[in-house]
Amino acid sequence: MSAPVPVMTVPGEPPPTTDAVRATGLTRTYGRGATAVHALAGVDVAFARGAFTAIMGPSGSGKSTLMHCLAGLDAPTGGQVFLGDTELTRLRDDQLTKLRRERIGFVFQSFNLLPVLDARENIVLPMQLAGRRPDPAWFDAVVARLGLRDRLRHRPAELSGGQQQRVAVARALLSRPDVVFADEPTGNLDSRSGAEVLDLLRSSVRETGQTVVMVTHDPSAAAYADRVVLLADGRLAGEIDSPTADTVLSALRGLGA
Amino acid sequence: MFRVTLSGLRAHAARLVASTVAIVIAVGFVVATLTLSETTRDTMLEAVGARYVSAEVVVTSTTGEPVDGVAREIAGVPGVQAVDLATSTSVQALVPGRSGAQYLLVDSVAEDPALRWQQLADGALPDRPGEAAVSERVGADVGDVITVTTYAEDGVEESSQVTVVGVVDLGGDPGAGLNGRAFVSGDQVQAWGALGPSEVRVAGTGGTDADALAATVRDALAGQDVDVRTGEEQAVREAEGLTGDAEVLTLMLLVFGTVALLVAGLVIANTFAVLLAQRTRELALLRCVGATARQIRRSVLAEAALTGVAASALGVGVGIGLAALVSALVGTDSPIPLAGVSVPLSAVLGGLAVGTLTTLVAALAPARAATRVAPLAALRPLDPAPLRSRGGLLRLVAGLLLVVPGAAAMALGTAESEVLLSVGGGALSFLGVVLLAQRAIPPVVAATGRLVRSGGVTARLAGGNATRNPRRTAATATALLIGVTLTTAMVVGAASTRATAQAGLAAQYPTDVVVTGNTDDGIPAALPGRLATIDGVRAAAGLSAGGVTGPDGYEGWTLGVDPAQAAPVLRSTDDLPLPSEGTAVLPWWTVEGWGVEDGGEVVLTGDDGAARTFTVALGDTDHPLLTTADLESLDPDAVADTVWLRLDDGADQADVVDEITDVAGSLVPTASVSGLASERAALDEVVDVLLLIVTGLLGVAVLIALIGVGNTLALSVVERRQENGLLRALGLTRGQVRGLLAWEATLVAGVAAVLGVLLGAGYGLIGVASVLGGQGEVVLSFPWLQVAAIVVVATVAGLVASVLPARRAARIPPVAALAG
Ligand SMILES: Nc1ncnc2c1ncn2[C@@H]1O[C@H](COP(=O)(O)OP(=O)(O)O)[C@@H](O)[C@H]1O
Ligand SMILES: [Mg+2]
Repeated sequence: MSAPVPVMTVPGEPPPTTDAVRATGLTRTYGRGATAVHALAGVDVAFARGAFTAIMGPSGSGKSTLMHCLAGLDAPTGGQVFLGDTELTRLRDDQLTKLRRERIGFVFQSFNLLPVLDARENIVLPMQLAGRRPDPAWFDAVVARLGLRDRLRHRPAELSGGQQQRVAVARALLSRPDVVFADEPTGNLDSRSGAEVLDLLRSSVRETGQTVVMVTHDPSAAAYADRVVLLADGRLAGEIDSPTADTVLSALRGLGA
Repeated sequence: MFRVTLSGLRAHAARLVASTVAIVIAVGFVVATLTLSETTRDTMLEAVGARYVSAEVVVTSTTGEPVDGVAREIAGVPGVQAVDLATSTSVQALVPGRSGAQYLLVDSVAEDPALRWQQLADGALPDRPGEAAVSERVGADVGDVITVTTYAEDGVEESSQVTVVGVVDLGGDPGAGLNGRAFVSGDQVQAWGALGPSEVRVAGTGGTDADALAATVRDALAGQDVDVRTGEEQAVREAEGLTGDAEVLTLMLLVFGTVALLVAGLVIANTFAVLLAQRTRELALLRCVGATARQIRRSVLAEAALTGVAASALGVGVGIGLAALVSALVGTDSPIPLAGVSVPLSAVLGGLAVGTLTTLVAALAPARAATRVAPLAALRPLDPAPLRSRGGLLRLVAGLLLVVPGAAAMALGTAESEVLLSVGGGALSFLGVVLLAQRAIPPVVAATGRLVRSGGVTARLAGGNATRNPRRTAATATALLIGVTLTTAMVVGAASTRATAQAGLAAQYPTDVVVTGNTDDGIPAALPGRLATIDGVRAAAGLSAGGVTGPDGYEGWTLGVDPAQAAPVLRSTDDLPLPSEGTAVLPWWTVEGWGVEDGGEVVLTGDDGAARTFTVALGDTDHPLLTTADLESLDPDAVADTVWLRLDDGADQADVVDEITDVAGSLVPTASVSGLASERAALDEVVDVLLLIVTGLLGVAVLIALIGVGNTLALSVVERRQENGLLRALGLTRGQVRGLLAWEATLVAGVAAVLGVLLGAGYGLIGVASVLGGQGEVVLSFPWLQVAAIVVVATVAGLVASVLPARRAARIPPVAALAG
């Protein structure tokens, strides 16, 4: 689900964007002087609402850095990031934090869950932090879709890796955020569990119009996406629409990965 | 390896502060107690025993009969140079510049210089009748002329004058009290109506051995009703009679000192355990590069020994300093007088040994644990200790084995008033409680955490975090618990000791000050009212006096009191009940003299021959006590004679008494003032000083807790870096991260504080009951406010301790979660 699109537009204002998130002239430099690393060296990119986009590229190409900057986890050195109409690069830390818990969902590669909370508590954590009550019907729907109904009282340590990632996905989907960011969500999973998680992400896009941006280095994972954005040396290096594992693989070979 | 130990010590100096402070407090406490106890004895010996220390031998009567008979015999014993017959009396004295007469206790001055013990502040001791030396309290200067009123056998009033030739410094003599003292020649005492000599002080010829001379005198006096002691023995005896209270206090303090030592041991063990846990990787690395397990253990123990010796030495210094401070605060105007400090060598050596040993013993277990660190641990992350370890079970069993018999011994000791038994039981059970606390605290913290779930997500998370590493939480909380328990026990103990002592004093001396007219014409009716207006006087009651004939046919001095007026004046009616209409409060001697019994009846006859029957109530009074109306019906000539006064608790007793003396003296020149108000004030002062020390202890205990809690939280922040990053990513603001750690600290500290206060209150009350139980009735007093303050202070201290780690945690960037 995306935020409602305004029906009327005000004359003179730029037309309402249909992009869930976009970045212009994004740079991120680590260190300074001779040892400076330009993890992002000027990236212009946009992610459409209701689409499943994969970010791919060789190791060290800046995929994670791009995602962190898009998700308001890290402050870029230069450029702008917009979530809908909100310019993230202008927000203070507390505003960013609130925006993250209200409008963004996260699925990380590992260490996704708080060990002291059970599955249910982990799922509702961001909404609780925001002081919101999850819609019970939606909660039931998400939990049922992810097959977690009889695992809600379990602590993370009592769940398998695949179950843990599904809990993380449920958490990301529960608040119907503007965007779900996933950083190599299947990196630590066996192929079957990984396929399940990817299926869930794709069906959430198909069935509820959820916007998902996923970083991965696995071509077969990228094949679940509607579009692939390729990154190399901190710059955009191409796009693939309706990717398959083969087209992605050959594109990556072209980048020398 | 030793070099590694030294550099380790240097590197972890900050972390070792907790254990160092613990040893310093414990050793300091023990040394201070021993030093104060010794100082009290020395001060007493000097003050009370001065008159005996100057003599080689002291002969006292066992029957109370005058001993002038034996004096002549003693003078003939070989080796005796001089004897002094100590005589005494009391007089009313009028000092220039003061309008009221004072009650003076008069003692004779020895003729032989060897037997003169008085310390002169000014002038000289009297050599002939007509001269007097007075104590500083009298307020007279050398050259003043004092007018003395005495009463001859037949009751005739006689007046005489003496010139002050010297002023005597009585030091810390607690017998000095409210009354002035005068020292005059033996002849002058006789002239003023001496009370027969009750002791003979004997000086030997130069170089005689006191013990030998005492033996010779004892042989010479064989068969007579006298005790023969050396001067030293007699001095110690007198001092002990007066230091009874001080010894109870010393005993109590030593009990707490022992507990403090145990506590320090546990704090040290905890600190070393946390310290070594933090250094697991470092130790493992040492193992990897070839250090043997034995070398590791030796290194840890060497570290403990060095810490122990240094901290104990510091503790000895702190203890002596503390004793000096207390001594200076208490001074010599106190029932437990203290002058300077007398440091017994045993306190210094004992403190050093006990502190070092405690540290070593406390480090043994962590040292053994350190040797079990596998070299591989250097290469893998720390895993949290499991709750149900073998050590945990062992601790549970050991804890129960200590608590059950310990509690039983404590109960038995309290019931039987066997102080040593209950002290031993208390120490044993507390050790057990500490072991059990290690197991009990994590579940209690968890339960409390569930209770505060309503505090929001952060509270819920904090509750979970607080119990994630149960061993560490238990260690942290136990350190605080011990400090809080100790402090609460002290506060509760002090409050009850004060209440008990005050109740005893109140029952024994229900009136603060008594003003007597000493005149047949009676005192002006306005005197009680006038005295009541003096600043510092809370209430006054006038008594009348007259003659009433008892069943034995003799007319006796009888007092009349208005019970409604007297009730607010008396501090207690336990020992001195007030009469009601138709009741006579009679002195105890009437049981034999008049054949009456408590609750029985007695017939009293008035001036006109009319007899009335009264119900008998026995009490601590010198004369029969009736209501004013009853006395008047028997003796219409009864006149106002005596005023009972109660002083404000906060008033400067000496000043108020001086003003009372002056006011009474200006209206009734013959009036005399007596009372025990000063004793009460002095006792309060001692307890206040005690409480001051306790507050100091709390301060240090809180500091240790602060360091301990801070240590643990800092460790958690390092360990949970990724987790905190995740929370930030998911929407926890910086403030909420700080709140998370604040909640965690408050939870652990609060639980420890509440449990500690409960335990401490129990131990304090039991301690008081067993230590004071043997001395009579115990009044238990619970200082709610102070105890509540302890809970708050301890909890807030925990909160404060979280500030620095929380700031570090809040600075963790959200991306830290992804840097896995
Ligand atoms: N915190 C950091 N400090 C310094 N350099 C960094 C930091 N994070 C990432 N980099 C560098 O930035 C570049 C991009 O990193 P990253 O975005 O993690 O790449 P990817 O996720 O595509 O593997 C790499 O060269 C990496 O070494
Ligand atoms: Mg990456």
